[in-house]
Amino acid sequence: MSTSGMIAIAGVGTTPFGKLPGRSAWSLQAEAVRNAVADAGLTKDDVDGLFTEPQFSEPLLLHGHVLGRMLGLKTDYLSTISIGGATAITLVQQAAMAISAGLCEVAVCVYGENAKTGLPMLFGLAQMGRGQADDIAYGMAGGPVMEARSAMRYKHEYAVTDEMFGAVAVSFRHHATMNPAAMYRDPLTMEQYLASRMVAEPLRVLDCTIGASDGGVAIVVTSAERARDLAKPPVLVAGMGAGHNLDGLKDPAHYTHFAGARSSQRAYAMAGIGPQDVDVAQFYDCFTSTVLITVEDYGFCKKGEAGPFALDGNLKVGGRLPTNTSGGMLSEANMTGWNHLAEGVRQIRGECGARQVPGAEVCVVSGHGGFQAAHATLVLTKGGR
Amino acid sequence: MTELVVGTTPVVIEETRGFWEGTLVGELRVQRCTACGARQLPGGPCCSSCWSRDLVWEAVSGCGTVFSFTVVRHAFHPSFADRVPYVLADIRLDEGPILTSNVTDVAVEEVRIGMPVRVWFDEPIEDAFHTPLALPKFRPE
Ligand SMILES: [Zn+2]
Repeated sequence: MSTSGMIAIAGVGTTPFGKLPGRSAWSLQAEAVRNAVADAGLTKDDVDGLFTEPQFSEPLLLHGHVLGRMLGLKTDYLSTISIGGATAITLVQQAAMAISAGLCEVAVCVYGENAKTGLPMLFGLAQMGRGQADDIAYGMAGGPVMEARSAMRYKHEYAVTDEMFGAVAVSFRHHATMNPAAMYRDPLTMEQYLASRMVAEPLRVLDCTIGASDGGVAIVVTSAERARDLAKPPVLVAGMGAGHNLDGLKDPAHYTHFAGARSSQRAYAMAGIGPQDVDVAQFYDCFTSTVLITVEDYGFCKKGEAGPFALDGNLKVGGRLPTNTSGGMLSEANMTGWNHLAEGVRQIRGECGARQVPGAEVCVVSGHGGFQAAHATLVLTKGGR
Repeated sequence: MTELVVGTTPVVIEETRGFWEGTLVGELRVQRCTACGARQLPGGPCCSSCWSRDLVWEAVSGCGTVFSFTVVRHAFHPSFADRVPYVLADIRLDEGPILTSNVTDVAVEEVRIGMPVRVWFDEPIEDAFHTPLALPKFRPE
């Protein structure tokens, strides 16, 4: 049994991204929700499901309940989860499941954060569990330090060059130059990439996601049947998958193989497609190395071949696998994977202007995080009216 | 942006107590399951292979190789500002488990994947609850 094609994304809402001083995380979440519901042609009273990612600022156990009260929602179903960079996609999956199970009809999934100008980004690792977080004693603080050991091992095993990492950053920045919402829109050359500061070898500052951004994203999920009559063309949730390498980097294999292989295979099978059918990808790009490994895990290249694939321009619009057409978290904004979902929906709708992939009908979106452990996948396709 | 600075000292908990006790007597210890023989780090409430609770802390050789590493050149935490550049490495112990630590006593440019290393123990310190411990670190063999 699967929900393939029965559930649709009917609305997408974003706030401006970047530095938004004076805006609370709550206000960004509220704005994203209002925009998404309006985009779908629905109203507040249509919403009966709420799915939230808790914020770093003012962290609360009952985040969803507080946001729902602020928005005046009467939700029948509500869920708040936090599994790192896989949260956005996992919440959409949960919304799809809740709708197909008859627990609600119109669900809103939302993220919003004032991480740039507002309250503290905690040093996440130290919060991951006492006793398990002792690695911070050796200087394992900051995302790049955590990721660099995977990137170093990947370079070592597959003879990946600096330029191959750079090709990812250059490609995504190229897309961002065509995205008015992106925080970084200046073109980036390979020379500029190679000259950028090394932060945690082999990762340069331009290998890393934009540190922190203010902003919010919301997604409206409903049944494909209901979506057919709403304001925007429905985007079907054709496939879903997830996988978790819970032992992270304690298992030598997990430095170069993420749970994305399992996650994508399940999503492809549910959608009845394979990598050859994908028109556009939105891959979680906390780091350039993460993208190359994901391209391989998702079956677009054999292991070790994503670097040359990227160097040949295949991740750009016009290439074989246009990826992160908004600029992603490397150039658009760090919305912890939520902006990838928004861009995926807009690509399938054909709303992306200069960066639109012509005739895009199948988009694959990945979420990745939890210290190399968490992974989730969505396959989005064009729905009929 | 204000930053809430989190401490960098380990916190000794029941599952890791045997490990840290070993560091005070110059032993690198790994948790071994007496039911199935699996070895694990960090310590846990049960064997993650067979779920047995029959676990013992056992000294290992202290020898291993660099499985992967990074040269950290930017201090993401103020406590490490005067230490950059430093090597954060995942050491694959000869007995199996991977332990994250530092490689010291060598130029950062010379650290390589596969490099044989051996443990040494830093000066004892105390965790937030005054439990003594000593950080195990590694240097080339
Ligand atoms: Zn066992």
